[in-house]
Amino acid sequence: MTPLVAVLWVLNVLVDSGGQLAFKAAAGDPLAGDGLARWRFMAARPWLWIGVACYVIEFLVWLAFLSLVPLSEGVLLGSINIVAIMIAGRILFREKLSRMRVAGILLVSVGVAVVGLPG
Amino acid sequence: MKKSFYVIGFLVLMAFDTLAQLSFKTAGMHALPLEMNTAWLARVFSQPWIYGAFVGYVGAFFTWMTLLKHAPIGPAFAASHLEIVSVLALSVWLFGETIGWPQIAGGLLIVAGIGCLAVSETDEDEATGAAALAHER
Repeated sequence: MTPLVAVLWVLNVLVDSGGQLAFKAAAGDPLAGDGLARWRFMAARPWLWIGVACYVIEFLVWLAFLSLVPLSEGVLLGSINIVAIMIAGRILFREKLSRMRVAGILLVSVGVAVVGLPG
Repeated sequence: MKKSFYVIGFLVLMAFDTLAQLSFKTAGMHALPLEMNTAWLARVFSQPWIYGAFVGYVGAFFTWMTLLKHAPIGPAFAASHLEIVSVLALSVWLFGETIGWPQIAGGLLIVAGIGCLAVSETDEDEATGAAALAHER
């Protein structure tokens, strides 16, 4: 992994995690209601737009990343976002980290590490 | 929430995500060399593939926001990554990429991890449902 690829990878993890957490904050608001009113409610608050801004930045970062690595390797390395989001979900939304979920996180992390091995 | 809602929802999400990844790779390849300037952006947006990525992204966004209304973000995000299976197969077929043992072993571990996260989610749902039922009684 060249330094540029590594920087783009880390940047993608950060922007993707930020965006997903903002979307969860927007979509999970219990006051949001249903249907069109729900979209209006979300559009009037910053979380949805913070998420969209992260999406736009991620679009370019991911494009740059994938242009430098094979797609099969890129999507596997991108799976580390699962781990980042799970840990952030635990911290910010108090989502449970059961033993099974910790096992899942470990398996995904080891899987990403194996894909990232040189060779 | 009905199981069919999740099954159909995640399949649609997987299709949009797969389209986006294939389009990203193709658009990125056509815009090489990678430069942090407007010339690179002009090359990116001057060819049709980038719009496939747009369609995939926007479609995935609306599907995802619908799913997120009920699903906790951690496990749902994990399940949304099952696209790696379809993307891996298609990258061999469409781009002639060779998949070595690190990709196969890593991919299997990641899918196993996603499986664990999905199982933990099912257990959680059942526990919540049982608790709600006990409360009602």
